Amino acid sequence: MNTERSVQTGRTALTITMFLLAAIVLTPLVWLVAATLKSSDDMFHYTFFPPVSHLTLSEYHDLFTKSPFARYLANSVFVTSVTVMVQLFFSSLAGFALAKYEFKGKNIIVAIMLATLLLPGQLTMAPLYDLLYHMKMVDSYAGLIVPGAVSVFGIFLFRQSIQQVPDELLQAARIDGCSEFQIYWDIVMPVSRPMIGAFCLISFMGAWNSFLWPQIILHHAELFTLPIGLNQLVSIYQTQYGMLMAGTLLGVLPVVFLFVLLQKEFVAGLTAGAVKG
Amino acid sequence: MRYFPFGRAALSILALAVTSGGWLALQPKPKHHATLTYWTFATTHYDSYKKIIPEFERQNPGVTVDLELVSLNALASRMQSAMLADLDVPDLFEVEIGQSAALFRGPTKDIGLVDLGPRLHAPGPDGTPPLWDRVVHARFAPYTNRGHIYGLPHDIHAVQLAYRRDIFEKAGVDVRKIKTWDDFVQVGRKMTIPGKQYMMEMSDSDATVLEPMLFQRGGGYFDADGHVIMDNEIAVQTMCWYVPLVAGPHKIGDSVGYFGQVQTKAVEDGYMLCYICPDWRSKNFENDVSHMKGKMALMPMPLAAPGGNPTTSWGGTMLGFTKHNNHQDLAWKLAMFLYLDKSQLADRYRSTNILPPVKDLWSDPVFHERRAYWSNEKIGDSYIRLAPNVPAHYSNPVIQTATDKLSQALVDCVHYYNTHGYVDHGDAQFESYVRSRMKMRADEVRAMARRDSY
Amino acid sequence: MSNILATRPAIKAASGTGPRGRRSPSDKFAPYLFVSPFLILFAVFGVWPILHSLILAFYHTNGPKSQVFAGFDNFKFLFADPDFHTAVWNTLVFAFWSVVLQIPFALGLAILLNQRWLRGRTFLRLAFFSPNLLGQVFVGVLFSVLLAPQYGLVNKGLHALIGLPLDTKWLANPALVMPALILTSLWLYVGFNMIYFLAALQAVDKELYEAAMIDGAGPWRQFLAVTLPSIRPVAVFVLVTTTIGSFQLFELPYIMLNNSAGPDNAGLTVVMYLYNNGFVTGNLGYASAVGWTLAIGVLLISLAQMRMTGAWKAEAK
Repeated sequence: MNTERSVQTGRTALTITMFLLAAIVLTPLVWLVAATLKSSDDMFHYTFFPPVSHLTLSEYHDLFTKSPFARYLANSVFVTSVTVMVQLFFSSLAGFALAKYEFKGKNIIVAIMLATLLLPGQLTMAPLYDLLYHMKMVDSYAGLIVPGAVSVFGIFLFRQSIQQVPDELLQAARIDGCSEFQIYWDIVMPVSRPMIGAFCLISFMGAWNSFLWPQIILHHAELFTLPIGLNQLVSIYQTQYGMLMAGTLLGVLPVVFLFVLLQKEFVAGLTAGAVKG
Repeated sequence: MRYFPFGRAALSILALAVTSGGWLALQPKPKHHATLTYWTFATTHYDSYKKIIPEFERQNPGVTVDLELVSLNALASRMQSAMLADLDVPDLFEVEIGQSAALFRGPTKDIGLVDLGPRLHAPGPDGTPPLWDRVVHARFAPYTNRGHIYGLPHDIHAVQLAYRRDIFEKAGVDVRKIKTWDDFVQVGRKMTIPGKQYMMEMSDSDATVLEPMLFQRGGGYFDADGHVIMDNEIAVQTMCWYVPLVAGPHKIGDSVGYFGQVQTKAVEDGYMLCYICPDWRSKNFENDVSHMKGKMALMPMPLAAPGGNPTTSWGGTMLGFTKHNNHQDLAWKLAMFLYLDKSQLADRYRSTNILPPVKDLWSDPVFHERRAYWSNEKIGDSYIRLAPNVPAHYSNPVIQTATDKLSQALVDCVHYYNTHGYVDHGDAQFESYVRSRMKMRADEVRAMARRDSY
Repeated sequence: MSNILATRPAIKAASGTGPRGRRSPSDKFAPYLFVSPFLILFAVFGVWPILHSLILAFYHTNGPKSQVFAGFDNFKFLFADPDFHTAVWNTLVFAFWSVVLQIPFALGLAILLNQRWLRGRTFLRLAFFSPNLLGQVFVGVLFSVLLAPQYGLVNKGLHALIGLPLDTKWLANPALVMPALILTSLWLYVGFNMIYFLAALQAVDKELYEAAMIDGAGPWRQFLAVTLPSIRPVAVFVLVTTTIGSFQLFELPYIMLNNSAGPDNAGLTVVMYLYNNGFVTGNLGYASAVGWTLAIGVLLISLAQMRMTGAWKAEAK
């Protein structure tokens, strides 16, 4: 009896602790939302939300009128979604080949891929810039999309999940006269959808938050992605925190939307990705 | 291949790609084939140039100018990569004083900027004297490297102290009686309430304010030949004097960061009373803390010693011309138009408060207006009076390292001061520590500079 | 949550190979065709720049045009440069604390979230994960304001709770910059790692727990005997990725410290050092030398981690 009660007390205490922790974690985000609804002058007058009479959307208004925010947003959406699609196609195709075929050189490819996973991406920035210059891709969408079109991580992810597709399914399709590409397209991809969902989210978050490479490769403001565009608002001579916060919040919404949509697949995908370690 | 096999998630992302791509394709294509491309990082400059460039295009039929606002943080790396790739190099560009010298690295023949010497010394149109004779010479110093001048100064940026006039008046302080820094510190000790109110905005972790103080006393980072002098006796004495002002039981300075809403809230609250204030910053106060109108005023910097320099300078912008450009004469013409054209002067001054470096322009009435924000003072007059005294900021490609190292030396010295019982500034032990630390930091700059020597 | 179990990848099955039948020519060429787009892009934009940077690392690149062969000079200067030492030290400190804090925190949250009696699990999971949706750049912007002295939310909160001085300068006091970065990064990433652990925990065979209970094992023994060995691959993965990620730290401090290395270089990381030298000063050769030094360091540490955790597994058995 007593132990049961103490277990119950312990559980209640743990539940309360968890909710307290969650509250701490969420506080900065609540502050962020509040900050976007205050005028710049009020930002530090009220810790969180101002009285209703002081609520304002002026920071959002400024964001769209005083900076080309819509353009940044469109650039980010375009570059990110194209990157995700290209990565998805190439990674799943290569992952399929590595999972379901035996061919010469396969092990070498896998070994090199593993090695590059351990190298920091910043290592190649300088020569990559040089290369893109010669290919006339500096300061273009292509300069953002093409070097990021392959995802070694994605290939491992897809190799992992496609390995679990039963071979019999593939053989049956072959007997039905399907070409190898049809097997990929009609059989393997449809059954890999949970993994595709997870990969889309991971890949989207990565490309959406990418900062260093766009910072180097983009010159003209009309090509800027959100992180670069927002960083424009920070200057040693002037900083518009209100606009910055409004931009930050709007910049997060697409990812939030995608996350809510893909939550379940995402968790499944993460475990599969982890297994390779 | 009858359907889309990747599922709902991928399909929605594909839809995003198509929609955004379509929207972007419909946007008007900006012209980048303009005759001249001009990069600036300062929003205030951008806004004022934007207004008058159509006039330049009207006066020069067939000429188009592409004006671009580039983030200051990205400007240095973007210039570097543009020069590196020889691609998208602007024809003219404005760069911040601290970032300019990094562009003067390497063998002289490889520097991507035009030596302006010949143009500066040539007589102007309509018999005006050469530009060299019209500009405050000290302002060419940071943009000069191995005898070549690579930049046109945009400004002078003489410094005064901005202060909360209302608070001082309430406390019965007469700022006119503050003649020297000693006077200032004395008043400061009285006005400072630890944790609530400090005499002056001064940081114990970055050299933003220490640096102008150093220049006021005749010190600096480099001498005219580019040699490191940031550990000379002036620097040591400045540091010994500065540290007890920002650390220990008698500190009179604090800082919450120099920009943004946190700082403006501090101004409003009177958390700090005095601020290093070059002409450009007076505009920041007007814009960012607008409701302090009439409560703020400007006073000249106190003197380090009788007869010493009454001012210093903070910040600056240089205009550079790249070799990449095929229309050098036109670029120069545009620069002269933007910098000197009298019809635009008043408008630009009112929107930036920046005094131009060309002395003969100062007679324009706009520079002698009273400003309601600054308690109805003629702020232009006082900046003009101080302008000829601004110290020369000699530079070197490793200037960025030097600024970082001065900040590091400050942090070192503050730490020592705090951990050794707040030794007095006359204390020989503290002084010898400061001397050795500053030498060490300066030597690190020298090591870096040696790698770039040509 | 049940679908996690359903799509749980069978770890053992991973080593199985596919069909070996080589019936038609298309079958034979198909795999090459399928990996070729990846291989071409990977060779051009992955492998080639890596090799090129190896060459560049031995050159002095002064200004945009001049390149002079310099042998090991870049490396010599690098190892002598006190700023590089600072950068390496900061990065190591950050990596150490990230690992030491992230993993137990994430595992602890995951274990609690895996308990059926806990109410509001979906909400809690979302709450802990939510900072991740922002990404480093946006978090950097947000925390540069939250950590402001005098008026920032963090100081106001800590002042009210434990009486910390309002003028605590998280981002201007060299001693506090690293704690601020570590805590911000904990806030940002703990939810991500938690999801890894959570997924791994849900994949643990329930029968093992039942067997352990029959043996009379308490919760702590169950954790040591069943949970830890079962989630070991995921734990190693989290350890290695957290370490690699920590070594590549750049955006977060760069943005939080207003595009600088912070007071006394307290927020200078190796990658920031690389960026400043390569893309602000314009010395690509030197930056390449930094990059290779970093790469070799990360490689060695990751290998050591994998070895050590492997040895730990052998002991546990």
